[in-house]
Amino acid sequence: MSAREATQLAMEMAERRSPLITGGNDFATVTDKICSLVEKPHPPRAWFIAFGVSLAMTGVLFAMIGYLLLRGIGVWGLNSPVGWGFDITNFVFWVGIGHAGTLISAILFLFRQKWRTSINRFAESMTIFAVICAGMFPAIHVGRVWFIWFVFPLPNQNLVWPNFRSPLLWDVFAVGTYMTVSLLFWYMGMLPDLATLRDRAKTKARSFIYGALSLGWRGSNRQWHRYEVAYLLLAALATPLVLSVHSVVSFDFAASQVPGWHTTIFPPYFVAGAIFSGFAMVMTLIIPARQFFGLKDIITMRHLENMAKIILLTGSMVALAYATEIFIAWYGGNPIERFTFMNRALGPYAWAYSIMMTCNVLVPQIFWFRWARRNLWLMMIVSILVNVGMWFERFVIIVSSLSRDYLPAAWGYFKPTAIDLLTLAGSFGLFFTLFLLFIRYLPMVAMAEVRSVMPQAGLEHGGHRGQGDYHGDIPAQHEETGA
Amino acid sequence: MSQVRITGGTPAYWRSLAERADTPEFREMVRRRLGENVDWENLAPSTRRKFLQVMGASLALAGLAGCRWPRETIVPFARPAGYTPGVPQRYATSMELAGVASGLVVTSYDGRPIKVDGNPEHPQNRGGSDLLAQASILDLYDPARSRSPLSREIAGGAARNRTWEEFSDFARGRMTDFKSRGGESLYILSEATSSPSMAAMRARLQGAFPRAVIAEYESISRDNERTGAVLAFGRPMRAVYSLESADVIVSLDADFLGAHPASVAHARDFAAGRRNRDRVKANRLYAVESAYTITGGKADHRFTVPSRWIPVVAGRLAAEILGDDPGARAALAAYTSHPFMPRFIAAMARDLKCSRGRSIIVAGPRQPADVHALAHAMNAALGNVGTTVRYAAEEGPERPSHVEAIASLADAARAGKIDTLIILGGNPVFDAPADIEFARALAAVPASAHLSLHEDETSRACHWHLPRAHYLESWGDARAWDGTVGITQPLIEPLYGGKSPIEVLSILCDPSPMSGYDIVRRAMSSFAGADFEAFWRSSLNDGFVSGSAYPIETPTVRPLLHIPMRGAPPAFAANDLEIVFVPDSKVYDGRFAGNAWLQELPDPMTKVTWDNAALISPATAAALGVRADDVVALQYGGREVEIPVYVMPGVADRSVIVPLGYGRTAAGPIGNGVGASAQALRMSGAMGFDGGLTVRRVGRVHALSCTQNHHMIDLVGLRETQRRVGELVREVDSETYKRNPEAVRIRSEGEPAQLFPPHDYESDHRWGMAIDLDSCTGCGACMIACQAENNVPVVGREQVKRGREMHWLRIDRYFSGAPERPEVSHQPLACVQCENAPCEQVCPVGATAHSHEGLNEMVYNRCIGTRYCANNCPYKVRRFNWFNFHKRTVQIEKMMYNPDVTVRGRGVMEKCTFCVQRIEGAKIRARVEGGRPIADGEVVPACAQACPSRAIVFGDLNDPQSRVHALHVNARSYGLLEEINTRPRTQYLAKLRNPNHDPEVQG
Repeated sequence: MSAREATQLAMEMAERRSPLITGGNDFATVTDKICSLVEKPHPPRAWFIAFGVSLAMTGVLFAMIGYLLLRGIGVWGLNSPVGWGFDITNFVFWVGIGHAGTLISAILFLFRQKWRTSINRFAESMTIFAVICAGMFPAIHVGRVWFIWFVFPLPNQNLVWPNFRSPLLWDVFAVGTYMTVSLLFWYMGMLPDLATLRDRAKTKARSFIYGALSLGWRGSNRQWHRYEVAYLLLAALATPLVLSVHSVVSFDFAASQVPGWHTTIFPPYFVAGAIFSGFAMVMTLIIPARQFFGLKDIITMRHLENMAKIILLTGSMVALAYATEIFIAWYGGNPIERFTFMNRALGPYAWAYSIMMTCNVLVPQIFWFRWARRNLWLMMIVSILVNVGMWFERFVIIVSSLSRDYLPAAWGYFKPTAIDLLTLAGSFGLFFTLFLLFIRYLPMVAMAEVRSVMPQAGLEHGGHRGQGDYHGDIPAQHEETGA
Repeated sequence: MSQVRITGGTPAYWRSLAERADTPEFREMVRRRLGENVDWENLAPSTRRKFLQVMGASLALAGLAGCRWPRETIVPFARPAGYTPGVPQRYATSMELAGVASGLVVTSYDGRPIKVDGNPEHPQNRGGSDLLAQASILDLYDPARSRSPLSREIAGGAARNRTWEEFSDFARGRMTDFKSRGGESLYILSEATSSPSMAAMRARLQGAFPRAVIAEYESISRDNERTGAVLAFGRPMRAVYSLESADVIVSLDADFLGAHPASVAHARDFAAGRRNRDRVKANRLYAVESAYTITGGKADHRFTVPSRWIPVVAGRLAAEILGDDPGARAALAAYTSHPFMPRFIAAMARDLKCSRGRSIIVAGPRQPADVHALAHAMNAALGNVGTTVRYAAEEGPERPSHVEAIASLADAARAGKIDTLIILGGNPVFDAPADIEFARALAAVPASAHLSLHEDETSRACHWHLPRAHYLESWGDARAWDGTVGITQPLIEPLYGGKSPIEVLSILCDPSPMSGYDIVRRAMSSFAGADFEAFWRSSLNDGFVSGSAYPIETPTVRPLLHIPMRGAPPAFAANDLEIVFVPDSKVYDGRFAGNAWLQELPDPMTKVTWDNAALISPATAAALGVRADDVVALQYGGREVEIPVYVMPGVADRSVIVPLGYGRTAAGPIGNGVGASAQALRMSGAMGFDGGLTVRRVGRVHALSCTQNHHMIDLVGLRETQRRVGELVREVDSETYKRNPEAVRIRSEGEPAQLFPPHDYESDHRWGMAIDLDSCTGCGACMIACQAENNVPVVGREQVKRGREMHWLRIDRYFSGAPERPEVSHQPLACVQCENAPCEQVCPVGATAHSHEGLNEMVYNRCIGTRYCANNCPYKVRRFNWFNFHKRTVQIEKMMYNPDVTVRGRGVMEKCTFCVQRIEGAKIRARVEGGRPIADGEVVPACAQACPSRAIVFGDLNDPQSRVHALHVNARSYGLLEEINTRPRTQYLAKLRNPNHDPEVQG
């Protein structure tokens, strides 16, 4: 096949793809649809129900934290040898969730994946909220939370300084940086949309608030130019972070000597797992959202299918990582490590291990089938199961490894208390509360970016918005026209 | 907190300062405290200004009253030239338990005793101590101790607070009555005691009331030994063993390393004999037993035989040893024809006969008198008497056995022959044989009084309860197992106004009661030479009267035919179970049930805390269809007790072992309702063991809280544990080791690569520890010593069950070998102070750091409690304060805290420090004394100090002459988990195994 023929074929196949935005929308309707969600005086009843439940769960979370601070870490089920249980499991779980956002915003942006535009705001917001939930756990998991500031390198009269050999300290910086960059990225990307909301505001208060939030955005060429450059730079900055944060989180384990933690495969394995769980979470959130808010034209089946494919891909990577771990445990010849893996599969935590294996390895395989990738109920179930599985992955790694390490006389068993379970549930409450507030008060789809991938933008002919060296989101030549 | 005590010896309570200030005693006290220049006129609080002045003075007094110096002159052990506040002082004293004293040294800070240790000069203790002595300090400060005499109109009814004066009035009234009758129907019941003062006071009482009856009862009695000696020698004799020079030792149901009054001496001598390479033969221990004791754990060969068949083993062994004598053969015919004929006996006998004069056969106190008689006969036939087994006459040769004594006392009570019963210590309502129904008998006594530390079961059943002074609060004396007279000198004024038994006896028989001090001095005068004061001073200083051991005698054993023996026990049905009562390793007979340290200490063998359990073998459990933690009803002699099951490998099949001392109902908030009372099944005819037990499943489950294997372990874990044990607890053959130590060198060779630059200790100390696993019996004295020294909190049953016990030092127990013949290994493990400490690398705030002397130090006030260090510790020796475990510590208990050790708050990590406070103390002393070097052995951590078998050695590895250095280069030494390159500072010395290669033993 000649190059020409190949190009021809690729173009034909691309034409067979469904369009990114359907339903005969133009700029105005897209803007209307998305802004009206924020501008409607009353959100749908479902929002109120969901918000009420989430807020109650957030209340539970803070009650649990209050109780924890009053009594001590002993209200959780931790013990010696299992010094970390739900706390760090939840932390790694939420940090992992937070990966999809930056991945979609930054990496897919750099790779010119235009389909990201419909979901990137969603994913970025999810990232912010997930990292908030994640960051909370290391803070409350310490025995003396009132001294948590010891982990920061603050000049002080006692001349004490953090220990830079500790991966936990690297974590502080990694997660802190990630949070900062993600927040900037999210907020900056939202400026044009905030300005749209300001311009459409009917009341003084809205006009003032959105006006303040949009930082004087006027949409001038110069502003767009600066914006695009900054966006690109932030995307470039955020890209290594996607890889680094979870790599550093995995160092908490990999740099230790606990059998089952001390593994060189952890950084890539954790990153793949994080993307896996992040995409699953985006899917879990977006399917009901597009249903309830009438965004089916903007977040189309094609978007969902793409996400399903990524879940399949990363799920398979995770499966490969599991297999590699088991293989190395056997091949490496270290009897203690070999036992750790035997123990995971057959020991007292075999139940957690089988949940993890089923949800993470078997369940996503259904996405090999096209019908499965287009069945909303199925996608919803799979995405939830993937997150259940990923939570258990962290639980298995952390708890089963700690519970049986070197000296059999010091082995133990971790059993969560009600406080553990309610804190976990409460963290979901906080996450959903923040998320529901977001979809009520901020544009949940990046309107400006969506408009740029619509045929009306006229960018399919290689044009650009401003100068010749425009690096923004340029659609390819073969983008569908029509609709 | 503390009542003010004044010179006259009578407690004074005052409602107002005016009332108080008027007494001459008060003036005397003020003069004593504040000096002579007190303006007495201004002390009369007639004006507001004066009132405030007096208030100020009284506050100062209240502060001073916190320093509870004893009244009489006590001689500090180290004889300081002058007293410096804040500098600890050490006093020698003695603690008596069941009639046997141990020689102790107590550390006191500003008048507060805080730590008990073995007296290094004492011939029995020689510096070691057992866990009961170690834990006794907690009893002193126990807030649940009774605080004043109580009286009840009807026994068991509501109690009224009384004073000692009121009791004295009551007693005097009674005694005047008795005077005319010569003491008819006056009964005194006391604990077993070897105290010369007590003997003197008893004689005094007997003199005043010739017809009074003085009885003695101890629920864990060694009377079978006495009777056995009477059978063998015609009079009660006590065996004193020299385990150090014995080559072959046979234990017949005897836990001489654990539950023996001389176990501290035994453990040390046994260990010393084993590690002594200069000996001709390596020593070998055979244990024949039903329960798995720590003696069995140290045995080279252990044979599980039900207790009721151990007489057969004794008889057959005697037949092998004395078989040449036709008379003996005839006397032993009943045993030799018994169907139970294990093969190991002949081989054991051959081994014994090869070590004539250098062997010991020890029979356990549970075993009937004839087994003891046989043991005496065998020791005599093997020529051990006078070499490894020495005899001394027992005290009170004519006294009835304890069971007889309590039974006849109960009968007398029921028959209405007792008018007044004074019970000095003990708790017979709880621990008398069940069939005697002592409580019911006691109810028939018109007037009864009970002296004890706590208001216990017996106190509640008596008309009077009298608070007893703790041994650290009172004067007394007692004799050690070898007879050495120890003096008990008080370290502190009675905290709760208690009195000692001798003082109570003095109230009964003296018109003006003597103080304990006077009584003891008077009793001691019989041991003194010409200069009593010099004798008294030196004896107080030493803590014992030197040269006062019982004289050694060499009695001759009667011919076996003349010894009346019960004969071999009959064969029993296959499903007939036997019940075996054993003293608990921690609460003993229940008297220490209120001691939280002991309750929380894991049992050496089962690792159960805060409970007792019926111990049964896996095969018996399978046959009964019960699993661990199932509650069963033990039915015996028409009585029933519900108790959880613990499946214990190594227990004889069809034996059910029940530790005594649990199920107390009046033991205070700590001891109440802990465990089940085995006493309820103990009959006067079978105080040790008996058949005829039935076990019924109740259907309930009671989760025992163990510090190891918190649940029945799965197959994956079990197999892996078996695989690792040999690596963790290493063993070497003692013959090979004796011939060529280098042949057993077990340390892994080669230095793994270093990521971080190694530490430099060239110019300084390099502290290290060596633990000889061959010497360690697993008794747990080190754990209690560590707890006392380092203010380690008690967390309670539920927290232990969650895996949150706080012991800095734990003793890991592993089973190995075939399940039907399990061997047990103990491994004490505290922080090993790794040179490449995994904990140090991972702490984000640098709260655990390496000192320039190689200690891995915890900085409590820097710690934020991430627990990362504990996760990364391969030894899992770090302990986290999950809650504020000191929150419920009451004020009086805080007096016991070691002021040199921080009391940790919640949320911080803690762990063994190698007793850094002691290291620093030694360094300061050396610096003060002109910068001299620290001598080897000058720094001793609490665990090493307590260890009866001297298994733990500490010192400076930079000193090539130090003992610890020698042990680190010893061929037997190895580092635990050294393969992961942690470079532990604590090295272990492999266990020595000296198996008999005779196939009959092996089979």
